[in-house]
Amino acid sequence: MRIGSAKQSYAADAALFDSRTQWAWVGVLVASLLAFPFVANEYWLYLACLVAINIASTTGLNLLTGYTGLVSLGQSAFMGLGAYTVAILQIRYGTPMLLNLLAGGVVAMLAGVVVGVPSLRVKGLYLAIATIAAGVIAHFVFSHFADLTGGSAGLSVPPAQVLGVVLDSSFKLYWVIVPITVLLLIGAANLFRTRIGRAFIAIRDRDISAEVLGIPLLRYKLLSFAISSFYAGVAGGLFAYFFRAITPESFPLIMSIFFLAAVIVGGMGTMLGSVLGAVFMTLVPEVLKLIVGWLPLGESAMLVLSPVRTIVFGLMIVLFLIFEPHGLAEVWRRIRRLFHLWPFRT
Amino acid sequence: MTMKKRTFMAATAATLASLSSPLLAQAQKKAAAKGAPAEDIVFGASMPMTGVFAFAGIAIDAGIKDYLSILNESGGVEGRKVKYVPEDTAYKVDQSMAAFKKITSQNKVNLYYADSTGFCKAVNPELERHGGILMTGASFAKEISNAQKYPHQFMVGPDYSEMVAILLQYIAKTKPGAKVALVYSDTEFGRDPVEAFRADTQKLGLKIATEIVTPPGSVDVSAEVIKLRRADPDYAIFHGYISAPIPEFINQARGVGMKTQFMGTFWTMDNSTVMRMGPNADGFMGVMPYRYYYDTEGKSPMLEKIRKMRPEYQATGYMQGFLAAMLLTEAARRTLAAGNELNGKNMKIALSSIRNFDTGGIIGVPLSIKGNSIPIGRVYKADFKQQKMVPASDWINLTQ
Repeated sequence: MRIGSAKQSYAADAALFDSRTQWAWVGVLVASLLAFPFVANEYWLYLACLVAINIASTTGLNLLTGYTGLVSLGQSAFMGLGAYTVAILQIRYGTPMLLNLLAGGVVAMLAGVVVGVPSLRVKGLYLAIATIAAGVIAHFVFSHFADLTGGSAGLSVPPAQVLGVVLDSSFKLYWVIVPITVLLLIGAANLFRTRIGRAFIAIRDRDISAEVLGIPLLRYKLLSFAISSFYAGVAGGLFAYFFRAITPESFPLIMSIFFLAAVIVGGMGTMLGSVLGAVFMTLVPEVLKLIVGWLPLGESAMLVLSPVRTIVFGLMIVLFLIFEPHGLAEVWRRIRRLFHLWPFRT
Repeated sequence: MTMKKRTFMAATAATLASLSSPLLAQAQKKAAAKGAPAEDIVFGASMPMTGVFAFAGIAIDAGIKDYLSILNESGGVEGRKVKYVPEDTAYKVDQSMAAFKKITSQNKVNLYYADSTGFCKAVNPELERHGGILMTGASFAKEISNAQKYPHQFMVGPDYSEMVAILLQYIAKTKPGAKVALVYSDTEFGRDPVEAFRADTQKLGLKIATEIVTPPGSVDVSAEVIKLRRADPDYAIFHGYISAPIPEFINQARGVGMKTQFMGTFWTMDNSTVMRMGPNADGFMGVMPYRYYYDTEGKSPMLEKIRKMRPEYQATGYMQGFLAAMLLTEAARRTLAAGNELNGKNMKIALSSIRNFDTGGIIGVPLSIKGNSIPIGRVYKADFKQQKMVPASDWINLTQ
């Protein structure tokens, strides 16, 4: 049983990690992340990079939907804007990768501010529908501004170079994608130790009360859209470098729904939820495939079990929502509490 | 020395975390070594067994399996068996890539089937880096037919522009100077042949009646039908759809008395897809690069074998998968017969050396391969009385 984690200062109370045990676990995590590329094969490295990109985008959406209470279905459009910006800069000007990613984030951020304007008048489902417009407009721009975007054929992105190293494999990209995602996560976690983050939460809990308390809704709602879109833009940029081919159809509406599902399954309004949700949504279909592959069912197993696997994945999401509406983050917390209080029951 | 439960759990978890990945990788390597002996040729596939393209994926998968089983029973490729390793992708590019990475990290893959244009594009740099794989797939996008840009890929048939060109050649021959409309979906798939359509109509002395673009997944096409009626084309070519909204278009057009001849491209042309369009689609035409399952004209030993193996109708996707496996393994056979290393470059050279190749009746004429596409096709017409697609033209080879 854990005892004696009394806080003696406000700084200690607001700390991201409040005990030595937690710091030890962070150390284990960092060591695992550093060791992973040397022990994993190309397939697991690919999945690790994909998960990291999805975590970055899910974190952005969680800032907006989970923390500020503004439902958005425009996440894929912002990712697309980031991806196209990065691709265009890389192809035409060959500018450095980090600068391109930053530019991708900024372009998406500006678009996010514009798309966020209706959030001042509408909420909930109405806002979700309004943000779908972002996807429609972005798709139109990607398809029809062919001189810039390559039209329906899209763009092939040359590999990025960092310090003379050509990032043309999952192993090399891992060393850029994962640190950027970690930075984005730390940034988001720290945001909620500031006035801005607390204002977002106040708006989510009751926007009228927040305004009465002196939080300007216009500024903070747009700021939430801006930060969320910036995250999506950077994630989109990483997507462009990772897949190295983008078309207007790389960023469909279903992708936005995927990220919204990741936020809900992971746990709205928690950083851990963003991570767990993105990991769950990305890896569970793959893990189910592995399980099906291990079953001694012969050659026709894929034909028979593929639809079953899809149904199981859907069922898992539904069951999570029914039995744990606070998401995987809450499941994680309960497990932690069990260990903290052991041998007593919660 | 005693250890607290929490400390023990932490230590165990940390050890497991650090050990699980290498163990997993080792287990996969062992599985690969066990499952695919070095002498086997490995045929990987990112196959859409679920999702919107599952109807085609299941048929393609069956076609590949059947051809490889015929091939392996007759001794394989230069004495080497071909091992088929498919993975479901749900027709999503990220999952297709994951399948590719998984299959290639567990097997020494030589041949590969790709499920979509998006995946063909995304995997292209990886193919060049890998160097050991020859790939074909379900994409007929014009861009993939660029052999310089996609040196390790090819398509099993004409690209979409060439499909439309085959239809236009047929139209120009049947009704010179005819008015032709193009109806396409506002997708990458739909927009693919638009420019070629414009150029080819002009070249063949045909007139463009109108071009109509429909939003992806549109159902109500009343406004588009009015536009089509105003243009009153002799022929209207649909592209970028599997079925909907084609039946709606045809029903509404027939309802207002239009006599236009409607046409489609490969993915619309499966027998069951056309027959489900309803009686107004009787006479619906389209381009087909392969013969239908039930075609009996001429000598077609492979089709007969297929009919023996599978007495029930097999979709056109099956023929595509069957021919894909035939051509990929033929490229491997020629490479090995020449004593060359089995890699993407050598296999592509071997593939390009194919001249007057007899597909056993899968395509009605001998084929020669030059470049990334095979611009051969035939126009078929729906006969609702027989519930079959019947030939409306001879085989049209755009290279001749």
